[in-house]
Amino acid sequence: MKDTNKAVGSPINRIDGIAKVTGKAPYSMDHTVTNPAYALLVKSTIAAGTIQDIDSAAAEKAPGVLAIITHKNAPKLNVKGGLRGGALLQSPEIEFFGQNIGIVVAETFEQARYASRLINVTYEKKEPKVDFDLVADQARMPKDKDKADAKRGDVQAALRQATHKVEEVYETPIEHHHPMEPHAAIAEWNGDKVTLYSSAQIVNGAQSAAAATLNLKPEQVRIVSPYIGGGFGSKGGQWANLALAAVAARQVNRPVKLALTRQQMVNSVGLRQHNRQKVSLAATADGKLTALAHEITTHCAINDEFVEPCGDCSKIMYDSPNSLITYRVVPMNLIVPTYTRGPGKSTGSFALESAMDELAYTLKMDPIEFRIKNEPARDPSNGKPWSSRTTVQCLREGAKAFGWEKRKPEPRQNAQGNYWIGYGVSAGTYPAHQRPTSALVKLNRTGNEVKATIELAAADLGTGTYTILTQTAADALGLAVQNVHVKIGDSDLPPAAGAVGSVGAASYANAVNDACEKITQELLTKSGKQFFVRPTAAQLMLSEKLTDYQTRVDSKPPEQAEEYSAHSFNANFAEVAVNKSTGMVRVNRFLAVTGAGKILNPKTARSQIIGGNVWGIGMALTEESVVDPRWGNFVTRSLGDYHVPANLDIGHLDAIFINEHDEHVNTLGIKGIGEVGIVGVAAAIANAVFNATGKRVRELPITPDKVL
Amino acid sequence: MRPFTYTRANDATSAIKLLTENPNARFLAGGTNLLDLMKEDVERPNTLIDISDLGLAEVKSIANGVNKGGVSMGGLGKNTDAANHPLIRQHYPLLTQAILAGASGQLRNMATNGGNLLQRTRCPYFYEVSMPCNKRAPGTGCGAREGINRMHAIFGWSDQCVAVYPSDMAVALAALDAVVHVRNAAGQERQIPIADFHRLPGNQPEKDTNLVHGELITAIELPPNRLADKSYYLKVRDRASYAFALVSVAAALETEGAMIKQARIAMGGVAHKPWRALKAEQLLVGKEATEANFNQAAEAVMADAKPLAHNAFKVELGKRSIVLALQTAMNGGKL
Amino acid sequence: MDEHESPELTEDEKRLFANLMPEDLSEILDTGVNRRHFLKLMTLAGGGILAAQSAVAEQLLTRPLTPAPAIEPASVSLDNAVNVSFKVNGTVRKLTVDSRMTLLDALRERLDLTGSKKGCDHGQCGACTVMVNGHRVLSCLTLTASCEGKAVQTIEGLAKNDTLHPMQDAFLKHDGFQCGFCTPGQICSAVAMLDEAKKGQASYVTQNVRQTTGPARLSNEEIRERMSGNICRCGAYPNIVAAIQEVYSGKPVEQVFRSV
Repeated sequence: MKDTNKAVGSPINRIDGIAKVTGKAPYSMDHTVTNPAYALLVKSTIAAGTIQDIDSAAAEKAPGVLAIITHKNAPKLNVKGGLRGGALLQSPEIEFFGQNIGIVVAETFEQARYASRLINVTYEKKEPKVDFDLVADQARMPKDKDKADAKRGDVQAALRQATHKVEEVYETPIEHHHPMEPHAAIAEWNGDKVTLYSSAQIVNGAQSAAAATLNLKPEQVRIVSPYIGGGFGSKGGQWANLALAAVAARQVNRPVKLALTRQQMVNSVGLRQHNRQKVSLAATADGKLTALAHEITTHCAINDEFVEPCGDCSKIMYDSPNSLITYRVVPMNLIVPTYTRGPGKSTGSFALESAMDELAYTLKMDPIEFRIKNEPARDPSNGKPWSSRTTVQCLREGAKAFGWEKRKPEPRQNAQGNYWIGYGVSAGTYPAHQRPTSALVKLNRTGNEVKATIELAAADLGTGTYTILTQTAADALGLAVQNVHVKIGDSDLPPAAGAVGSVGAASYANAVNDACEKITQELLTKSGKQFFVRPTAAQLMLSEKLTDYQTRVDSKPPEQAEEYSAHSFNANFAEVAVNKSTGMVRVNRFLAVTGAGKILNPKTARSQIIGGNVWGIGMALTEESVVDPRWGNFVTRSLGDYHVPANLDIGHLDAIFINEHDEHVNTLGIKGIGEVGIVGVAAAIANAVFNATGKRVRELPITPDKVL
Repeated sequence: MRPFTYTRANDATSAIKLLTENPNARFLAGGTNLLDLMKEDVERPNTLIDISDLGLAEVKSIANGVNKGGVSMGGLGKNTDAANHPLIRQHYPLLTQAILAGASGQLRNMATNGGNLLQRTRCPYFYEVSMPCNKRAPGTGCGAREGINRMHAIFGWSDQCVAVYPSDMAVALAALDAVVHVRNAAGQERQIPIADFHRLPGNQPEKDTNLVHGELITAIELPPNRLADKSYYLKVRDRASYAFALVSVAAALETEGAMIKQARIAMGGVAHKPWRALKAEQLLVGKEATEANFNQAAEAVMADAKPLAHNAFKVELGKRSIVLALQTAMNGGKL
Repeated sequence: MDEHESPELTEDEKRLFANLMPEDLSEILDTGVNRRHFLKLMTLAGGGILAAQSAVAEQLLTRPLTPAPAIEPASVSLDNAVNVSFKVNGTVRKLTVDSRMTLLDALRERLDLTGSKKGCDHGQCGACTVMVNGHRVLSCLTLTASCEGKAVQTIEGLAKNDTLHPMQDAFLKHDGFQCGFCTPGQICSAVAMLDEAKKGQASYVTQNVRQTTGPARLSNEEIRERMSGNICRCGAYPNIVAAIQEVYSGKPVEQVFRSV
């Protein structure tokens, strides 16, 4: 490799930072178009049934109204085009409360909002399935073959024979992503082509889904998404609003701005489902696991199945000769669930890592030692060797840094004034993958200065993509970071993987590195010279007096990567203070130790981990979406009712990375950190609450009423 | 938001006249709750009368009358300014804490004292116009009574409405025996004791207060007291800040030696109005400020509680919060 | 007078221009070349120069310039139109608006100041925070009509003379954001919050509110409480607190990047 490796690994400020702190970074609704009209969606007010009539006469007559589009006059769209959640105005059937049933387009936002209130809908109602407790026993095996029952050995026999065991049910509620930027699109047609300015974690996915839904070819749709105001999974798959913006713009023959209201977010762009998880663990008296069962019951949409993989951590975290992981799912009249930060792993680890803590108490073992005792040498689910695994290191280093020795093993032994203090630990994991990604590198020389432009349809939703790709290219080309310009977030650029599932950094950075390698190699060949020390691309541009040169690469993960089981790992340490009188829980200190391969930028990486921790704190303490069990509406439909953590909820957070060189996972040894930061967090906090108070809360969030 | 005409009032008399003439007009002051509700289509005024230029914002000592020696705050003063005025901080720290426990810095910079009193419930069934709600649409039923009512009332509710009143400021005002001054179109002033300002829902949950349409809140008067040394506003909520109360307690004590000479307890998040606990206060008078006595008072408050399906926890939480608030008050308001 | 178009270059544009053609900058400024010309010039300069520039340049130039109407009543007929004249970032703006138009929508849709964000539109997130007459308020719950004669400052007005506001610098250094959507509101809120503290204003976590002399002392806990009206879903809170603490204290707050 090169000896100019200086940008990668250094904590430079975000490349896109100045645009963000000056308010100049354009998000979906910030792009300028000429003479836009404004659209709002109209939503159903029942959860199941059929629209009998939509009376829009008053709305049509309202000032400024340009169009009202419902299933009665909507153009034919392809409901199997790849947009999630249905609700494309193609039929009068209602499958969940808040389903899209119309679009109002007007000259101004105020006029559209007013007119949207003038539409009268009559329904033929059906009894909705909206109470999970009532329908959970109707849950069936998921269609997805990854969710088939996974059995090894005989868990039931091991449980029967065990002297030490835990069999408990853990509940995690419905959560919503609530990115700060509500989903929005500006649609602008030019002939038979449409540009959609809309946040997309998967730029090419948004393009192909929007195109297929609109019955267009992909090249007729351009997605422009240079900045994404948060996504957390909700802007991975795209939703009806994207296509409906295009429909509205076509209808009124001018650009249309269509943003979801915050209240509409709860039933427009997916959710994290309610998971009921039974975990059964058995161990020998000296702490060797003999059984590990994780049985999950959850819900999906009436006609669309999505089940988050809550059993994934249980598959690989611990060595147990007997293992069982099952999923059951019941369709309900709610919008289809979708990927939500740390899908499956964050919620599944709450159940597994709480149960591990409970069993450690039963065994009277230190929960760290108990975990280490059950460390698997290979991936227990498939027998593959680990590409690298840092669980033990994370636990050991974390214990040292956190001051774990100060923990009082028994609850209610550590009081400070009116507070019980408690310590909790957990371990977690998230898979590491690289996905196919193309990248274009362009070099340009003016005088003695060489500059590079890197282009790919990647996404940066605050994850640091602009920054890490600038650093990667700078090193790979032998340039200063100021001389590298990264262009992403546009489907006109070479296709790239999504910023989802923690694949972004590995996919993008490896592709960019490959492209830089390729351009260097091509320039070397072009020069026809031999060098003792291999020159950089920048040096070759100078020595060969080239002004412009470019190349493109279609990068794929190395084939041998499949031979290994590759994951990021972490350990979480929480110190909580629980108010003895009110039960309010405060996370005083939190430490996440993460082994995630090569860290490209310690500053943005630390922010990613801390952000994941804050999400985990929200999951543990504040976040819950509540459905009215009669009507299927979300009672928690605003940011006033749905409690995302506020600044005061967050105490001192600290992140440590394990210096890890993983030579198997991919060329650059990158594992990804977007998700792993949330995994295990809720369990560490719940375990700390138990350590503080002796109260085991198995139903999130841990609000004051549950601690009293 | 329905179309409305916007009018800027230059003086109180004409503002009141405009309002009185039009039952569908509303005063606009801070707008923090009114505009929120208008966007939700809950409030549908056809006229907004902007009263932010009327003055009526001063915080001052009361020189004459029954509340002589007390402090008056203008109805149109901003919450931030009331909370931070030296007279309030010095003599009514309970009120300062209560105001600062509510909303956020930005909202307190906008919201007025009179407007804070007129906040409407945050009951989600009230806010979602497709849901039944007797407060928003009389006769449609109460969505929360048999629905999700974790945040709702445990005192004084009716089958018509189980909503709670959300203000923190008003809970402190209730404990401090504040008096609300209002003026009507005839130029008449009327004084409403804070205890009579808000209503219980009964059969008319659409009426939050006893204010008559056309009346303007000109001032809120705080009688003088000897409670400033020992008071505390405790707010228990689902997140640490920027959230409405599950339960809140305004507690204040005056002691003589070890004896309690005077006690004030008011609660928020438990009823359709600030819930003053007079009976419990009386129990404490003449007793020592001990945890046992505080417990007894708390038990007395909660004896009347009638929890709903999802909020029984408020009874226990309420008790503990009363005790903690009284203890903290004894400690000079420091946790 | 063309209300839509500022005759002068923005600070960002000046900076960009200075980077590209430093020798021409003073001439451009002196002769009053306006934004439209500047952007045309930039477009003519072509991809080679652009490619090498920062993200700022990128989005300055990818945002098309709209044909600006010579006067501002909007072309559509407005319900209950209200004329309002107010200062935005130091410049007097005159608008005719629908009485229902919020300050947030006026900034974004009429004045092309899209830095202030619509995160919830109901006063529950803080992304729309701006300063009106020096106080931080929520522009989503402020009617434009009520802004007559007032002075509004937005994120676009914070940087001065080619220099970021110290709070912007500190957010950049401490990575006080990820997606950046809440950032303009956070920064406006933080700037005004420090002013509130200077005036001695208390918060709910202030230990003794009866002590009223002098500026408030801001512990991290005080900053957290005072900034709790600005939700950051990415969870950058610790970095936001560090950034604000640095500006408040005037001393660098250490950044620690730990690995073992």
